[in-house]
Amino acid sequence: MEASVLRQLKKIAGNGAVLDRPEELMMYEYDAGVDKSRPGAVVFAQNTRQVSEIMRLAWQKKIPVVPRGAGTGLSGGAIARKEAIVLSLARMNKILEIDVANQRAVVQPGVVNLEVSNATAKYGYFYAPDPSSQKACTIGGNVSENSGGPHTLALGVTVNHVTGLEVVLPEGRVIRLGGKAQDSTGLDLTGFFVGSEGTMGVVTEITVKLTRLPEHVTTLLGIYNTIEDAANTVVAITQSGITPAALEMLDGWMVRCVEANVHAGYPEDAAAVLLIELEGMREAVEEQAEAVSAVCMQQKAREVRRARDEKQRQLLWLGRKTAFGAVGRVSPSYYTQDGVIPRTKVPYTLAEIERISKHYGLIIGNVFHAGDGNLHPLILFDARDPVQKENSKKAAKEIMACCLNFGGSITGEHGVGMEKMNLMPAMFTEDDLEIMVRLRNAFNPESILNPQKMIPDLRYCREITGPLPKAKVEPAPGVRV
Amino acid sequence: MSALAETGSPARELSAIVGEQNVAASDSSVAINGAFPALTVFPGSAEEVAAVLAFANTRGLVVAPAGGFTKQDIGGIPEQVDILLRTERLGGIQKYDPGDLTVSVSAGTPFAEVQRTLGEHHQWLPYDAANLERATVGGCVATAASGPLRHAFGGLRDFCIGVQFATADGKMGKGGGMVVKNVAGYDLMKLMTGSYGTLAVITRANFKVFPRPRQTRTFLCNFASLDETLRFRAKILASPLQPICLEILSPRTQDYLNDPQPARDPDDYAPAQPVSLASKIWQIALRATGSDTILARYKRELAGDASRELDGAAEEQFWRRISQFEYTILTRHQNAMVLYTHLPISGVGTVAQAVERIASDYNFIPAVLGRAATGNLIAAFMPLSVDPPSAMQYANCVSAFRGLLPTGAAAEVAHCPKEAKPHFDVWGTTPTDITMMKAVKKAIDPNNILNRGRFIV
Repeated sequence: MEASVLRQLKKIAGNGAVLDRPEELMMYEYDAGVDKSRPGAVVFAQNTRQVSEIMRLAWQKKIPVVPRGAGTGLSGGAIARKEAIVLSLARMNKILEIDVANQRAVVQPGVVNLEVSNATAKYGYFYAPDPSSQKACTIGGNVSENSGGPHTLALGVTVNHVTGLEVVLPEGRVIRLGGKAQDSTGLDLTGFFVGSEGTMGVVTEITVKLTRLPEHVTTLLGIYNTIEDAANTVVAITQSGITPAALEMLDGWMVRCVEANVHAGYPEDAAAVLLIELEGMREAVEEQAEAVSAVCMQQKAREVRRARDEKQRQLLWLGRKTAFGAVGRVSPSYYTQDGVIPRTKVPYTLAEIERISKHYGLIIGNVFHAGDGNLHPLILFDARDPVQKENSKKAAKEIMACCLNFGGSITGEHGVGMEKMNLMPAMFTEDDLEIMVRLRNAFNPESILNPQKMIPDLRYCREITGPLPKAKVEPAPGVRV
Repeated sequence: MSALAETGSPARELSAIVGEQNVAASDSSVAINGAFPALTVFPGSAEEVAAVLAFANTRGLVVAPAGGFTKQDIGGIPEQVDILLRTERLGGIQKYDPGDLTVSVSAGTPFAEVQRTLGEHHQWLPYDAANLERATVGGCVATAASGPLRHAFGGLRDFCIGVQFATADGKMGKGGGMVVKNVAGYDLMKLMTGSYGTLAVITRANFKVFPRPRQTRTFLCNFASLDETLRFRAKILASPLQPICLEILSPRTQDYLNDPQPARDPDDYAPAQPVSLASKIWQIALRATGSDTILARYKRELAGDASRELDGAAEEQFWRRISQFEYTILTRHQNAMVLYTHLPISGVGTVAQAVERIASDYNFIPAVLGRAATGNLIAAFMPLSVDPPSAMQYANCVSAFRGLLPTGAAAEVAHCPKEAKPHFDVWGTTPTDITMMKAVKKAIDPNNILNRGRFIV
């Protein structure tokens, strides 16, 4: 990074707010996914004015900027290409206002997701979207990725819970989108901005909806002897007319992995478990718990257990929410997928994943949001073994192809980022992508902000259409998927 | 003179795209705030829509997309409309998987038709805007219209999972897909919802569908004052109850919850009782769903407040009339003015009060109805037949009303006599950056051929 740029960054944000030594930059070369790339500098903005000045500087010098929250993303959205500036919003971490009368909170982007619920619980409210990383990930990052989580099945994802934004555009102009009202006159740019993965502007303030804490919550654990029965239960519950607050599935391998880690109370000999949460009015929860248990038993569940108390309920969830970490203990490397399929296709897709697992001789663990059809197969491999590494990529590609063949999506909540950019042509036509690029350019005309993310450079669209089995368009040999 | 007359024979070129039988000269029934489109075209596919737009774009012809023609009066007076693009031939449910709870529908399909198909599988879209027998799926998405069910289920934006459209320059594009969770690409569903046909012509929309509630019950709670009404709302919001609708109704609203006869004259006013004895009663209508046990709990908790319960056909009729409220008013009073408000919910009382006060200042009769807990109120101002208001009086009334709105609130004029429209800003203020909105519009409609001059962009 040019010395004069560093000097100006320090002038804007302060000496202690700029990192440029290689050993410091190393901390910012990765996220929770698999890609790595070292930025040219990291700057911590402390307020909107600084963000604006940093953007103005970058705009003048044509230096790419990558906004970053906690770096818990899984698709490389917050990783800077070489010589780019990472603009960390982690120090803008204040809850600015809790407006109970309007059921809103106004927060800075660096506020950790769980902090919002913690701060509002005393008023009887919480912030609904709950990514598994909710103890670390930031609201700004959630907005950029339109994050989901187990409880978004009934309550919706981030975009359903954001009503207002303050955004700094690449040239440094500060704009407002929406406010505390549910909606506003004119184009819904607030909704459009959510999930734009840092390619349209830097979020500096967010107005979120607060949701009333339910009167009653209960969690069921359905235990299965075959994965097929569990998958069929998911379909049957969806069709029964009950929408659980959460409907999660772990396969047998994941169950054992989790048990070894946290002793969540899952039976280690199960082929699969379903974690089903019901919430709402006490009477409704009781009725639904009975109905859901009956559906599970009809679908050949071995047993349905119900959490006796809050402590046991938390323990069941601890197993789910720490599942990825548990895998990290047993495998040197794993590759998390984020495919989505129509819900009736869960049984078939799981069978297909098992076939792919056997074919490549790789363990693939499944822990996912079954109720939404949002799969998270974890492909385990040893990165030191080039054959395994190569096979993991092939397996991933086949799983994605399977999702796409069912009319699904390449990402349900982790985002496209760097990781899946080259798969976009498999879902969207060149015209679709061109329209998206034109819209992005309305915000970010020179692609200074988070360049080369989300939408592949159109000139290369055709060239990257390599062998993705059975898909419409396929990435070229050597292109990572 | 419109551009159409100057550019050879657009009718012939459009016929080449959609077939001669699908191009017609427009008649007075399709005037948009007094502006007549020269030609009406009925494309039969998304490709044809794109081709019509590409043609119009090249010639600089202004296009107004139209579905069931139920909301065309909303917005500014168009400076020019050359082609009316009707979506009625883009009809039908393209894909419906009851097991997956998703549906894909062509834009010209009447919304009620979708509901009937879903109903066969005990499913529905929790959506109850007005005029759904005529209003099309594309039109509902384009106008972001909503009804009382918005309270619990959100608006169309919250369950539209995919959209296909043709841009002004004739490209076919899409966003989302047929799965309920999807973050691949930009959220074009949000962008299209409520864009009033200014960005693209929607050709198809996909939705997440829901199991239809097995039974519902409506509790009508009457209050002698607005303050008492708001205290009750606060109590409900703080309670564990989870109603699917929570509507607030001002005293005069009762006069418009019926199926009106067409008006005898533009300002027909026939209240159920003489004006001087008009009711002072405010009402909250709460709709609950669940088993008998759950409904029994509602009954118990609302015991002191609910004066009436509705179920079955009477309940359905009540909610249909709530949905039709603004159109009932417009049928009875052609010169009524109707505003949509966007409020932080703590402003509901202030705004309801402002409607009552401003109406009496400007010689209108007020009625307010809307979602008490989302801040989407419909404010209606009916002229007194003894003293028809001048165009300026509408403008002054709107400006005075907007002046009383609380911080963060805005009101757009949805319906009013077209003669009044030149005198004020129909759309009003918005917290969202208008320069950015215009940049977005320009990105996909560079020549501004879609609904020019009618929307905020």
